[in-house]
Amino acid sequence: MRKTNINWLKKKREGLYCVPGNFFIDPVFPVEKALITHAHTDHARPNNKSIFSSKETIELMHLRYGESYCSDFQIARFDEKIKINDVTVQIHPAGHILGSIQFLINYNGYRLLISGDYKRTKDKTCLSYEPLECDTFITEATFGLPIFNHPNDQDEVKKLIKSIKANVNKTHLVGVYALGKCQRLITLLRDLGYDETIYLHGALTKISDFYSKNNIKLGNISNISECSRSEYANKLVLCPPSSLNDKWSQKFKNVVKGYASGWMRIRQRVKQKNIELPLILSDHADWGEILKTVNDVNPNEVLVTHGREEALVHYLTKKNFKSSALNLIGFEDENE
Amino acid sequence: MNDFAELLNDLILSPSRKKKIDLLKNFFCKSNIKDKGWAFCILTNRMDRKFVSVKELKELIIENSDEDLFRFSYDYVGDLAETISLLWESNNEKNTKINLHEFMEIFSNFDHKNKLKTKLKYFLDRSSENQRYTIIKILTGGLRVGVSNGLIKEALKLSGVREKSEIEEFWHGFKLPCTDLFEWLDGKELPKYINRKKLFNSFMLANNYNSNEFKSYKTDDYIAEFKWDGIRAQIIFSEDGKIFSRNGEDITNSFCDINTFIKGYFVVDGEIVVKKNNKVLSFNHLQKRIGRKNPSKKLIEDYPIHFIAYDILFYTSVDCRALSLIERKKYLNRFINICKFSNISTSSLIKFSSWDQLQNIKETSLNNHIEGVIIKKKTSLYKKGRVVDGWYKWKRNPFSVDFIIMYAQRGHGKRSSFYSDFTFGCWIDEQFTKLVPVGKAYSGYTNDELKSLDRWVRNNTVERFGPVRSLKPGLVVEVSFDNINYSSRHKSGVALRFPRFSRIRWDKPISQVCSLKYIKDLIN
Repeated sequence: MRKTNINWLKKKREGLYCVPGNFFIDPVFPVEKALITHAHTDHARPNNKSIFSSKETIELMHLRYGESYCSDFQIARFDEKIKINDVTVQIHPAGHILGSIQFLINYNGYRLLISGDYKRTKDKTCLSYEPLECDTFITEATFGLPIFNHPNDQDEVKKLIKSIKANVNKTHLVGVYALGKCQRLITLLRDLGYDETIYLHGALTKISDFYSKNNIKLGNISNISECSRSEYANKLVLCPPSSLNDKWSQKFKNVVKGYASGWMRIRQRVKQKNIELPLILSDHADWGEILKTVNDVNPNEVLVTHGREEALVHYLTKKNFKSSALNLIGFEDENE
Repeated sequence: MNDFAELLNDLILSPSRKKKIDLLKNFFCKSNIKDKGWAFCILTNRMDRKFVSVKELKELIIENSDEDLFRFSYDYVGDLAETISLLWESNNEKNTKINLHEFMEIFSNFDHKNKLKTKLKYFLDRSSENQRYTIIKILTGGLRVGVSNGLIKEALKLSGVREKSEIEEFWHGFKLPCTDLFEWLDGKELPKYINRKKLFNSFMLANNYNSNEFKSYKTDDYIAEFKWDGIRAQIIFSEDGKIFSRNGEDITNSFCDINTFIKGYFVVDGEIVVKKNNKVLSFNHLQKRIGRKNPSKKLIEDYPIHFIAYDILFYTSVDCRALSLIERKKYLNRFINICKFSNISTSSLIKFSSWDQLQNIKETSLNNHIEGVIIKKKTSLYKKGRVVDGWYKWKRNPFSVDFIIMYAQRGHGKRSSFYSDFTFGCWIDEQFTKLVPVGKAYSGYTNDELKSLDRWVRNNTVERFGPVRSLKPGLVVEVSFDNINYSSRHKSGVALRFPRFSRIRWDKPISQVCSLKYIKDLIN
């Protein structure tokens, strides 16, 4: 077990553990008490006894795991300070997806900020990230290399609209993560005036309906099963990335395959996935945003987790921040 | 420049052959003729040199960014051009409007070597990410955008008045910057400098032998020859003779001990090998001669070249390609009788009366310098490429040995995110305590196996040196290789020819892997 510089935060097999609070943050294995930053499956796993998170995250977990995945849950509110054992915990928006939060944990006046996954780009589907001053800052590094410089999101979505207009007889099949990316892409399309019905793979409908119920306007969306085969041409269909190259996608005969992800920045990744229309659209901070955030929260110490830790630790150390890698396991390296 | 950068990007992302041909055709139709010429040269890799070395590029990026961050990024991306184009900080200079041909003329005529980096920086500062990528790919050569020559020929056919066969015939004749190629495609005459008799001719290639298919074929309709482990070559014998490699590269100077001077015009297809004291030596010996532009007298004496001729394309004015193999063999023998060069001979035919017998010959009588046999239909004509009902290669069974994986390295290009290049080894002696690396393999596994291997590497890393990971000995793989020889270059003292994975032995304990002695015993 490697010690972090604050001695009351420990790495255990289950994940990151706060000793004076007696809870885990985004544990990989079931625990007594878990604080969950957001509802993506590598952060929010089932079967913890007690959960503390935002209202949306808890509802999304209900949606994913059924009502019985957890016996006790506590909804966190933005204006409250909650005492958990010997620490107080406050939550703040992280700007990653609907319901995503950061935890500010205060123990004897020492402030630890766990940001979870976050981004700084404006996103209509969730509250924007709020930088908070702290002593120890835990940041993600999914895109922690200077080659990652996400382009303007509207420009990327314009590429999709342009391609739909230029290929009238083709179906556009775009891979998106079911939670977050899917709905963000839809709101961006609507903002840019695309008002046709958008068709969804069955795996995306439940969560999209949840977004709609939370007053995020997605316009006309429909399950692709309600569309007859003869009408596929010129339609925009969203599906999980794994469905782009599986049997399901074979029913579309004349397709342009797209993929909305920060990984689309790298040509060879695009090639690997047989993508013709890459859309560089990420819900994670890019290199510039990570550095900006570190400057904004101005911590004594930065701990770096999942992703490309080495480069970021190297750079921050050079810039005179005390910095090290957390080396947590269980978070998916390549997914967003 | 921007049009060409867009073309490259579209070509990389287009999955279908038809779409690629369309993209090329559109580019060839709408562009300025000088741009077309250069684009053609770049796409077909006709540039005679690299304009910028990898070393210079790395220096340039380190001067303009952080060395360690570059290293981390390059390790991650796995492609130098892409890494630099993403890492380069654009300083908001206006993008350059330079044409492709203007750009190419600047760099082909650039002779201030010490100012090259400054010039390159000037353009990188004034380019978009996509343009930077294109610039670097052009200047370092080797585009790898998934465009074969066949595809380009198809696009050329569609954008001019020439037939595919004509394009094929003169393909190798046009010189940089190939503007005249596009004039010719539009109907003008061939440039004067093109002499058909000096041009490389496309090779006929062999398909893989399929025993089921051959069961019903009569052995009488075929001949069989040994497949020599040398390099394929085409020799033009004339007063201005030439030797070409398999991909049409002029290798005349490397093999100057073959006399190509003769009155008349004869084009012969065959294999270059090293032959000493009447014995053909292994490929290892030939390797000493490959790539040496001006071999020394000593090198020529130590590794004398021999040409084993097996086909003839032209016999003076006779285009033998349109004749049957049996007819061609007669012309080839006539040629050998005329030329009387001591280091040129014909390939002898194998006598066999059944496929089983041939298989037996293939497996038993072969040694180090023979890879297998080639079966050719007697009536087949000499045609470009892999022709159905033409030639078939029947390789002998490869060696197969279990090894332990020792190091892994991230792949490049398509496999840049995976640990895909593996160094494997065996026990150094019968103590079974220390390992010695024997070879490197980066193929033979499926995509799913690659993912599992990648995961295994990440979970079993002992140490990291840049892109290389040293691994805990624990995983056994069965490696196939075509041949094995002594080598002074390697720590193990042996060199394997074309090693590749044949099976991953997740179940096999490392204690059951052999020692180096066993491997060395395979050589004889």
